[in-house]
Amino acid sequence: MVGMSVLRAGAGFAARLNQLKHGFSNGRLLTRTVPKTESAAVRYGSHGKQMFVFKPSDYYDRRFLHLLRYYILLTGIPVAAIITYINVFIGEAELAEIPENYVPEHWEYYKHPITRWIARNLYDPPEKNYEKMMALIEIESEKAEMRRTQMDVRKLMREKGDGPWYHYETMDKSLIDYSPKSTPDN
Amino acid sequence: MPDGFDKDVYPEPPRRTPAVEKQTGLPNPADILIKLFQYTVDVPVTTFRDWVEHQHERNRFYYYQQKFRRVPDLTECKLGDHLCNYEAEMQWRRDHKVDQEIVKVIKERLGACQQREGNSYLQNCDKEMNQFRQVSKAYQSRYGDLGAYGSAQKCLMKQKHRMIAERKEATAAED
Repeated sequence: MVGMSVLRAGAGFAARLNQLKHGFSNGRLLTRTVPKTESAAVRYGSHGKQMFVFKPSDYYDRRFLHLLRYYILLTGIPVAAIITYINVFIGEAELAEIPENYVPEHWEYYKHPITRWIARNLYDPPEKNYEKMMALIEIESEKAEMRRTQMDVRKLMREKGDGPWYHYETMDKSLIDYSPKSTPDN
Repeated sequence: MPDGFDKDVYPEPPRRTPAVEKQTGLPNPADILIKLFQYTVDVPVTTFRDWVEHQHERNRFYYYQQKFRRVPDLTECKLGDHLCNYEAEMQWRRDHKVDQEIVKVIKERLGACQQREGNSYLQNCDKEMNQFRQVSKAYQSRYGDLGAYGSAQKCLMKQKHRMIAERKEATAAED
């Protein structure tokens, strides 16, 4: 590639030199003017001389961008259409005072219809979460209390020794045979 | 601003448009431009918006502000009563959020005042400025340096230290 351009430049230079040799004397080379081949103003009816342009392949880039647009718009357009439909035809809720003797459902505290739908069908009511958390806390606190009382009971029984724990079963005293030691002469 | 705002808190600035004294017979180009804008942009957009509102009118539904019952505070809970602690903590968090919103509203009022008064806001916005200072000082003293893991208990301890400091100051002032 580089060699080609060097060869082309060399060929152009050689052509200029040859022209000079034929037409004029050798002494005054630098003062001669040489007519350039491209300096005439030519107006084409078409797009000019067809060039075979060398450039690196853009196949992969264009393929990537095409696929990106395709996969984004595949779900993007339906989602945008649905959301536009909901915003135009169903609309957002209006703020109102809670009527007398009416307890609103947990989804009626949200404004946008999609949020309301999600709160109604997908999420649990916040009261349920609250109660679940309180149930867990109750269970854990009862467990902690039981463990603490067990620890105290164990300590006291071990210390005092009058409880059902920390005493080992012995045999009935009536089964003991005192006969070997009952008389002083055995 | 949308419709339901308090006219006392956000007063409209007095109009300063001068009376028109036309001295030429030529039409005013500003009027022409205004009319042009009105017919090309304003009217279509308004009609579209009215049509959309009409669609909304057909099936209206409402949303409400949730009212929570007051539960006993952290000061009224017994020592090992974890359930009472949890409820008090949740109530404190709700109150914290409400206080944050209050500070935001006061800040917005101050901003609205500054926007209204223009270059003379430093002398005309005194009331809003004082209100904002008071509210932010109160917020700082109550919820100020609790940090990201702030809880009802830490807030209560902060209040306790504040009261101790005040009492110490009071006794020092007496002596």
